[in-house]
Amino acid sequence: MEHYEDEISSIDEESSLVNNESSWERKSEDIRVDEETDDNRSELKFDKELESEAELEKRKLIEEALHSKQTNLTTWQNLAISTFGLVADDLRCKVWPLLLEVDPCPDEKIPSLEELSTHSEYQQVVLDVNRSLKRFPPGIPYKQRVALQDQLTVLILRVIMKYPHLRYYQGYHDVAVTFLLVVGEVLAFRIMEKLSTNHLRECMEPTMEKTSYRLNYIYALLYKVDTELHNFVDSASVGTMFALPWYLTWFGHSLNQYKDVVRLYDYFLATPPLMPLYVATSLVVQRRQEVFAEGCDMASIHCLLSQIPDDLDFEEILTRAGTFYKKYPPEKLEYLVTKRVQKELDQRKREEQIMRNRQNKNKGLWLRINNSVPAWLLFNFKGKYGLLFAAATFIQHMTFAESRTY
Amino acid sequence: MATANEPTSSSNHEFLNKQGKIFKVIVIGDSNVGKTTLTYRFCEGKFLDLAEATIGVDFRSRSLNIDEEDITLQLWDTAGQERYRMSMIRHYYRNTHAIVFVYDVANKASFESLNKWIEESNKHCLPDVPRILVGNKCDRPAAVSTNAAQQFADQHNMALFETSARLDSQCDNVEAIFLTLAHKLKNQKSFLPPTSIKVDARNARQNKSSWCC
Repeated sequence: MEHYEDEISSIDEESSLVNNESSWERKSEDIRVDEETDDNRSELKFDKELESEAELEKRKLIEEALHSKQTNLTTWQNLAISTFGLVADDLRCKVWPLLLEVDPCPDEKIPSLEELSTHSEYQQVVLDVNRSLKRFPPGIPYKQRVALQDQLTVLILRVIMKYPHLRYYQGYHDVAVTFLLVVGEVLAFRIMEKLSTNHLRECMEPTMEKTSYRLNYIYALLYKVDTELHNFVDSASVGTMFALPWYLTWFGHSLNQYKDVVRLYDYFLATPPLMPLYVATSLVVQRRQEVFAEGCDMASIHCLLSQIPDDLDFEEILTRAGTFYKKYPPEKLEYLVTKRVQKELDQRKREEQIMRNRQNKNKGLWLRINNSVPAWLLFNFKGKYGLLFAAATFIQHMTFAESRTY
Repeated sequence: MATANEPTSSSNHEFLNKQGKIFKVIVIGDSNVGKTTLTYRFCEGKFLDLAEATIGVDFRSRSLNIDEEDITLQLWDTAGQERYRMSMIRHYYRNTHAIVFVYDVANKASFESLNKWIEESNKHCLPDVPRILVGNKCDRPAAVSTNAAQQFADQHNMALFETSARLDSQCDNVEAIFLTLAHKLKNQKSFLPPTSIKVDARNARQNKSSWCC
């Protein structure tokens, strides 16, 4: 199932039309919070990849653990972190809830569509969900996809309605869709609820200041693990924005291959909340030669980094990220982050001052003209074109004076 | 006369060799007005069928040959959601050469938000940075009249264009919008930011005679 992006472009015409019709305009009866619909998730899977021998061995380990009574959270975490993670979606479906210790208690009341649609973020959520076609399996029947998109809208709104202090952000839908596809809507709600109040809590604050702050950990860590690369990227003023979608969506938005997304999700569900920043750094280190091959220029480096190639060895990237975390846990990087943020703040203040000076300079010029024109002229030509006329008179006067000197 | 090179993919790094002067253009406006499809249409020459919500900022570029001079337009395609505007996009105003404001002609609210976007940009950019206004999705029933848009554009000293990134028939129109901007940028010599000016004797002399305010 390589490059499903290519295949997806061949989705029948009918479905591509939906992209533009905001489901805003869709009739409410189209949105079914399905109670009667059967669980048809098995049909929704991305093409199953053939499992290698090593993967089959891992599968055996996980299945044994699932049947054993002597398992605890650490068992699941170790399985999710180690090579190949949880191998396939049928296992993920069982182990992901265990990793977050959530249980499906389906008795919670699902708000009605009327309630959901009155939410202030409803419109934004619908817009983003409608545009999330790339995240669904290619070739998925139109009706099924629409039903899933409706479930996704409901899922997101349920979480932010239950926790009013949490704000929806563009990219949250990329996280939610991954869980919806793997574990179905009941468990996906439990998982999103847990993640939103833990791992993603900071991203869901009213402003993105905290998120912005966190991204600086990438530079602090890079400084520790690869100073040369850090200095190169930093001197090009690349900033942190290339990693913003990585952090906000756990790479779900930026990876082309579904299998890489779910592998990373195994890892993030089993590791501390700041781990995506360590994986981000590890990914940059992985591509260091390519980075150095670019000019020391913000645009080209940003462009290079923000497009993640399909053939990266994610197992290697994850192992390295784990080593980084052990050696430089967040508290050991804190002072570097504070320093960097302060430096950026000073820089911004300086730039703002320069802006103000330049703006004032314009005003100053105006005042100087104003002052150099005799008061009687200004008095006579106060209107809109007065100054222009005055200036013309003044220039004429000067030219006349000049010509007289010859 | 302007001749546009074949659209080049942003992943093609060879453009660096012949990119000439680089102009950074930031594209802003509400969510779902078509900023991504518009920049994609110009840079890749086709309609982006499966446009997703932009998270943070995406970058596309295209080399052009204008009056026998190579220049590159770097288009910075930004996220439309309010929270991104408040916290993130301000990083991208740095050294911006031009601003493209986009609204959806079929969505009045996106037109009304322009005031917010303009106010924001004034905080970060000098008044002499060229600004243009693009009403996208003109293949749909208009909720914003051309008159109202023109009046607004005049008021803010911007050129107005109405187009559709979706329609192939409007392809030339999209082309014209960015070429107009490229011409304007190329001829406005004085305002290259200090960082992008290479100091050599010839340039130094030019800089002296240019007026930067």
